[in-house]
Amino acid sequence: MSVDYLLHESALGYAIFKVVAQPDTIGNRLKEVQAATQDLDKFGKMVDLVGLAPFEGTEAALQEINSISEGILSDFLKATLETNLPKAGKKKTVTLGVTEKNLAGSIRAVFPQLSCETAETSEVVADLLRGLRQHNQKLIKKLQPGDIDRSILGLAHRYSRGNVKFSVHKNDNHII
Amino acid sequence: GRGGAGAGAKVIIEPHRHPGVFVARGKEDLLVTKNLTPGESVYGEKRISVSNPQVGEEAATSTEYRVWNPFRSKIAAGILGGIDEIYIKPGSKVLYLGAASGTSVSHVADVVGPEGTVYAVEFSHRSGRDLINMATHRTNVIPIVEDARHPLKYRMLVGMVDCVFADVAQPDQARIVILNAQNFLKVGGGVLVSIKANCIDSTAAPEAVFASEVNKLREGGIKPKEQLTLEPFERDHAMVAGIYQRST
Repeated sequence: MSVDYLLHESALGYAIFKVVAQPDTIGNRLKEVQAATQDLDKFGKMVDLVGLAPFEGTEAALQEINSISEGILSDFLKATLETNLPKAGKKKTVTLGVTEKNLAGSIRAVFPQLSCETAETSEVVADLLRGLRQHNQKLIKKLQPGDIDRSILGLAHRYSRGNVKFSVHKNDNHII
Repeated sequence: GRGGAGAGAKVIIEPHRHPGVFVARGKEDLLVTKNLTPGESVYGEKRISVSNPQVGEEAATSTEYRVWNPFRSKIAAGILGGIDEIYIKPGSKVLYLGAASGTSVSHVADVVGPEGTVYAVEFSHRSGRDLINMATHRTNVIPIVEDARHPLKYRMLVGMVDCVFADVAQPDQARIVILNAQNFLKVGGGVLVSIKANCIDSTAAPEAVFASEVNKLREGGIKPKEQLTLEPFERDHAMVAGIYQRST
């Protein structure tokens, strides 16, 4: 099973990458193949950024991470996928690599022509997504060094504060 | 002035074998880290200030260190126990599972310094509040109040890391560590797990529990390198260190 596109979610926004060189499925667990994912020069030739959809402000980012963590396809992500993925013809289906299976299910419900592979169903997808996480700063060329780190810091504080405040596990919120 | 460690006495700071960790030699030897936020204690720990002599044109400065208590931190206990490698050094990115109130995390943040990052995950909301507060003063700490069993929930908040440290005291701890390594740990990155035998299986002998946990880690692609007991600081605890190989 080959994979055509990858969805990368970061604290800055969504990025869609096209897989330009199909990785080796059989030798995936070999040391050399694993090492290639770690090497930016080699990995950079396997994927190509086709679209970047940055979040508009911290409020938007918070909404997106809340949807993503529950596996819900937000309107913004839906629009991002619509603009950046090719319209599937009758012959060829497009395969999208997604990190998590609930989100993959939500995407498939809206885009029936898309086929989704997750990190769980395909080791190749898992390794490609790991490579994107490792090299995202360099692969998304518009970014300044530290952009992603800064947005992670802000978003983590907001997300964690939200989790502490709105809790269904009330037993952990003792009022003394 | 303040009483106790270092006050008034002559203290010499020496670097520890592990980069970023220091030893304060005074009346007694203490493990210390260089305070990222001089003038502040995180949890009431003692601070030691040493003045750096004047060098050429530059004026004399002072550096502040915080005492790292091995009875309160598993990593400090491991270091004093003579662990060979902690995989945490200046500039490292560390994923810290089971961050609690962030007391130990603050020392790891001191070790990795301003160029490093500590992604600190804690599920309990009560501890999470303290963790968030600690992190507001230390911008190299990313507080994540979420369940470490579901790493994909916080995948937008964590980058690729050099080391995963886990002190979650859950029966499925090995599985939690492996899941997080699969998503966030570089191949060749370090894994440090503090195992409390009682939390895994309170009926089996601690040695048997440690052996079975090490086996689970090995099956998850983590090559065990060393195991040491955290005596005398913790009872029936072991620290296991390994390297993530991913390919099994």
